[in-house]
Amino acid sequence: MTYHLPALVFLVPFVTAIGLPLIALRDERRCRPVALAALSVMAALSLMSLGSVLNQGEIRYAFSGWAPPVGIEWVADEIASIMVVAASLLALVSLLYSSPFPTQTLQGRSVPYYSILLLLVSGLSGVIYAGDLFNIFVFLEIVALSAYSLVAVPGGRALVSAFRYLIMGALGASFYLLGVAYFYSATGTLNIADLAQRTPGLLESKAVIGGLLFMFIGLGIKMALMPLHAWLPDAYTDAPDTASPILAALLTKVALLVWVRILFWVIGSGDSEQPVVVFSLVWVLGALASVSGVILALSHTDLKRIFAYGGIAHVGLVLIGVGQGSHTGLTAGLFYIINDAVMQCALFLLAGVLVHQYKARTLDDLKSVNIRSSWVGGAFVVVALSMIGLPPTGGFFGKWYIVLSAVENRNYFALVAIIVTTLLTLAYFARVLERMFRSAPKSPQVPDTPLSFRASVAALAAAIMGLGLWSDHIVSVLLEATRGLGR
Amino acid sequence: MVELIEAWLYRPNFIAFVILFLWGLYITVVHHNLVKKLIGLYLVQTSVIFFLVTTSAKSGATVPVLTSVTNPGGAEMYVNPLPHVLTLTAIVVQVATLGVSLALVSAIYRKFGSLHEAEILNRLE
Repeated sequence: MTYHLPALVFLVPFVTAIGLPLIALRDERRCRPVALAALSVMAALSLMSLGSVLNQGEIRYAFSGWAPPVGIEWVADEIASIMVVAASLLALVSLLYSSPFPTQTLQGRSVPYYSILLLLVSGLSGVIYAGDLFNIFVFLEIVALSAYSLVAVPGGRALVSAFRYLIMGALGASFYLLGVAYFYSATGTLNIADLAQRTPGLLESKAVIGGLLFMFIGLGIKMALMPLHAWLPDAYTDAPDTASPILAALLTKVALLVWVRILFWVIGSGDSEQPVVVFSLVWVLGALASVSGVILALSHTDLKRIFAYGGIAHVGLVLIGVGQGSHTGLTAGLFYIINDAVMQCALFLLAGVLVHQYKARTLDDLKSVNIRSSWVGGAFVVVALSMIGLPPTGGFFGKWYIVLSAVENRNYFALVAIIVTTLLTLAYFARVLERMFRSAPKSPQVPDTPLSFRASVAALAAAIMGLGLWSDHIVSVLLEATRGLGR
Repeated sequence: MVELIEAWLYRPNFIAFVILFLWGLYITVVHHNLVKKLIGLYLVQTSVIFFLVTTSAKSGATVPVLTSVTNPGGAEMYVNPLPHVLTLTAIVVQVATLGVSLALVSAIYRKFGSLHEAEILNRLE
């Protein structure tokens, strides 16, 4: 039973997504409960699989019994299991939160909407579990296609944003596939564990270097690395308020995770000299992305857009940690990916609450309303503290380990980039908080915050605090799981 | 330099791939018509698939189906079937992407009454 858990985690939302048009044939109102049930089952199964992986070691699932490297392999190690738990719980929370939104906006399209949402979540778990490069490509495309359609749901301006995202995303996928083709022609295998055996001797090969760079460009578009980020702010701003939390939380993070896997599990695992140049490229681009991301966040007034640029900056922070090439840096990057997923989800969820309750989309709108709900205000403060990186939140400990890895390498440029990012993050959150808590003289009366809003923001704020308070345990699990990788 | 050019000329398939890829990328970036952008995107995706297929080609080899059970012959007799399988999946992904993108384009046309990027951006203001 435990052996099949990774496949089950994927299959539950996937089968529901395909069966949903049949289940909801008579009555569209069945969609929501069915989707909620599927995601709850998925979350429970992923927790079970995490428990079994922590107790009995990793699960390597070979589909239909064909042993790798010939067959298709899924690897549920500690990192993949933790990521899938995070993904399924965040998906569940963001689905729970969306209940007060009026269903008329979907205009009879709720069946495809929920179907695509479930497809997105199952694709995410596929990317995280997949143990070979080509499977990762296929699942990344499932995720991307669902994301294009979800972004386009509100119509109007969102259609253009979705089209832009599609052009960029499809080009990124082509670049990634090209890199995979290069790797395959150089090594003759696609399985990550098998590649790890063969690439160390081939690091001088131009095909491997070229393949690595093409994959980096492709994944760079998917993870919205700074010069390739143009699709992200438009797509996240125009996406429906119900779907943007899950998109913002996980789209860029899975691409980051894939890149980390390639960097450390494929090319960085041998005894030979590590390709230092690639790691320097990664952290330099990360430093540029984090500083320019926060500067752009400061220059905007639309709340969702500010948060989107904050997310771009945090992708840069993860890359700074990963680019140190050390064991500490890798662990720091992985821990920060989890933190950032929770923080982005919480930020876009709060942006959705502000739109729904207070009709506030921009900083100026915030000035003219009074946030009376202590749930919303409190959760916002917690998320802001974590984004800035103040203890005892998860963001602080994530940033702490990244700083630690930079100091260990005596990499003071990266250190300066982190400090500048932190200060500017403080600056743009000060702008938001100042307008949020200033009392407005003639603010309109707003109805009480619905229970699902209160519950979901409280759950995410608690998760951020929990990631901080139990950071010791999580980091020690990650350290153990990445033993032997990195310098 | 001469050796480099010689090496290129021995691999006309790679030259064809590079031309197709860059051509597609150029069309996608330069043209303002959304459907033309999609055509460029299609060229890029197809060129990558073409590259994958050509890596499996081998002179004097045949389809990877056993000609005889008792005397199957060595691996050099057959072309590598794996890139073809990958290609099939990649084509499916490409078709799905094209479907979604054409649906988006038709929705944009119904909403804005134009396929020209500049006009659509004008109407967004």
